Amino acid sequence: MTGTSIVRTHGLTKHYGATVALRDLDLEVERGEVFGYLGPNGAGKTTTLRLLMGLLRPTSGAAEVDGLDAWHDSVEVRRRVGYLSGEPALYPKLTGAQHVDFLGHLRGTDGRLAAKRFAERLDLDLGRPSRELSKGNRQKLALVLALMSLPDLLVLDEPTGGLDPLAQQEFQAIVRETTGEGRSVLLSSHVLSEVQRVADRVGVLREGRLIAVDRLATLRERSLHHIRATFADAVEPLTFAGVPGVRDLQVHDHSMSCSAPETALDAVIKEVGRHTVLDFECAEAELEETFLAYYEKEAVHAP
Amino acid sequence: MLRSVFAKTAYDQRRSLLGWVAAIVLLVLMYAGIWPSIRDQPSMSDFLNTMPEAFRSLFASSGADMSTPVGYIQIEFMSFIGPTLVIVYAVAQGSRAVAGEEDRRTMDLLLAEPVSRSRLLLEKATAMVAGTVVLTATLGLALVVEGQLFDMVIPVDRIGAAMLHLALLGLVFGAIALAIGAVTGDVGLSRAVPAGIAVVGYLVNGLGPMVSWLEPLQRYSPFFQYIGHDPLRTGVSGPAAAVAAATVLVLVALAVVGFRRRDVHG
Repeated sequence: MTGTSIVRTHGLTKHYGATVALRDLDLEVERGEVFGYLGPNGAGKTTTLRLLMGLLRPTSGAAEVDGLDAWHDSVEVRRRVGYLSGEPALYPKLTGAQHVDFLGHLRGTDGRLAAKRFAERLDLDLGRPSRELSKGNRQKLALVLALMSLPDLLVLDEPTGGLDPLAQQEFQAIVRETTGEGRSVLLSSHVLSEVQRVADRVGVLREGRLIAVDRLATLRERSLHHIRATFADAVEPLTFAGVPGVRDLQVHDHSMSCSAPETALDAVIKEVGRHTVLDFECAEAELEETFLAYYEKEAVHAP
Repeated sequence: MLRSVFAKTAYDQRRSLLGWVAAIVLLVLMYAGIWPSIRDQPSMSDFLNTMPEAFRSLFASSGADMSTPVGYIQIEFMSFIGPTLVIVYAVAQGSRAVAGEEDRRTMDLLLAEPVSRSRLLLEKATAMVAGTVVLTATLGLALVVEGQLFDMVIPVDRIGAAMLHLALLGLVFGAIALAIGAVTGDVGLSRAVPAGIAVVGYLVNGLGPMVSWLEPLQRYSPFFQYIGHDPLRTGVSGPAAAVAAATVLVLVALAVVGFRRRDVHG
């Protein structure tokens, strides 16, 4: 088994005083995959990534990157990793090119050419001091700095925050190329839509616990939709209750509301179609709701 | 230019250091310019003698004579303004080194690269030492050159000795700031603690000779290592310099140990 995972944590736990930020995390990221690390703000995503970077010391348990301990062998780990922090800070007076130059020297590899290419793709001017850049452009620069050494593993904390749609698309293309070259990506987000185009697998964190790890395709099938319909005539609750997967069903003579996973949508709509419809609404639920509905019980019942 | 953490830290300092150097050159010029009129006014010494002893002891260490260049510079410059300048500079650098970098969140940028925390801290400490040396060397040079212009002649080796002790004094407090910043990551604390210790150390050294219960404590004050042996007149004191240098080394070592063990604030 050794060698197949680029990231592996065992019972990784982090306390800040009395607050438990992360409990007993067992996470594996395989080589060549994009792992989307999801969860609401404050769930412990940033804590996990900072533990991997050796910026935080685990309270218990351990994290390994490429078989190296993230705390004790941190320097060697960082040689293999490109990191984008959650709220990236830059040196206000230094230009993009000076950042590239300085951090390249610290790493001992010349990242100038790669940085120039990434900057062009993201439409970023490396010649301006970072204090003159907009928030989106600062994010681009921080991203370029993480990417430029072409590391084995990219650890990106909320990478698309503040990026315009065009830059987001380019970023997704870069991520796909990265894994095409056999390198790996671990990226965090609090919204599924940011990772769904690129992630192979997704892990969901809630209140410091990993409540689910699944292939993205499976997750999509399970993604909950809120459905609301108003009819010309009164309807029987039983007709909808019979559809497999439907939950939270409420029928009040002329109207119906329920939640259903993507896989049940077809059956629900066909059932709706048997009546005269005045109004119809269907929207994807927040990711968190999907997880609360399907995964949390499993996590609680797990031995 | 930006080849290492040391080079980057030095590069960051270049403008502020230039400002400090200009300020020192002007300040010394002012003191040297006043010297001829002080020298020709013997009553200045009489005036000093009428001051309360405690006051004289605080500001005019070890009975200096205002009618000689050495005594004048000792009283007017080396006893208060000089140390204040160098300590403020070194503490700012020491505090900025780790705590400041964390406070601005740029520590994450540095520690994303394969550079050990010890190395990072040692390069920052070296930059602080280099900046302090530049500052005190400029001060020494200004005293020699500008002193010549106004006939305020002090032997060069004595000025060198005083500057060495002054640099060490600044570095002791800079190292306290560095260590507190490295252990706690707190910028405010890393400035407040050395400032507090400096005030206490200054008073203990100044009042030690007169207050019996303070006297045994006097030799522990960094100001005693700095000026207790009167370097402008007697030159370098090996033991005093060694005590100060050892203090700096111990503090830097503590900083490394503390910084290696803790979480970096994000």
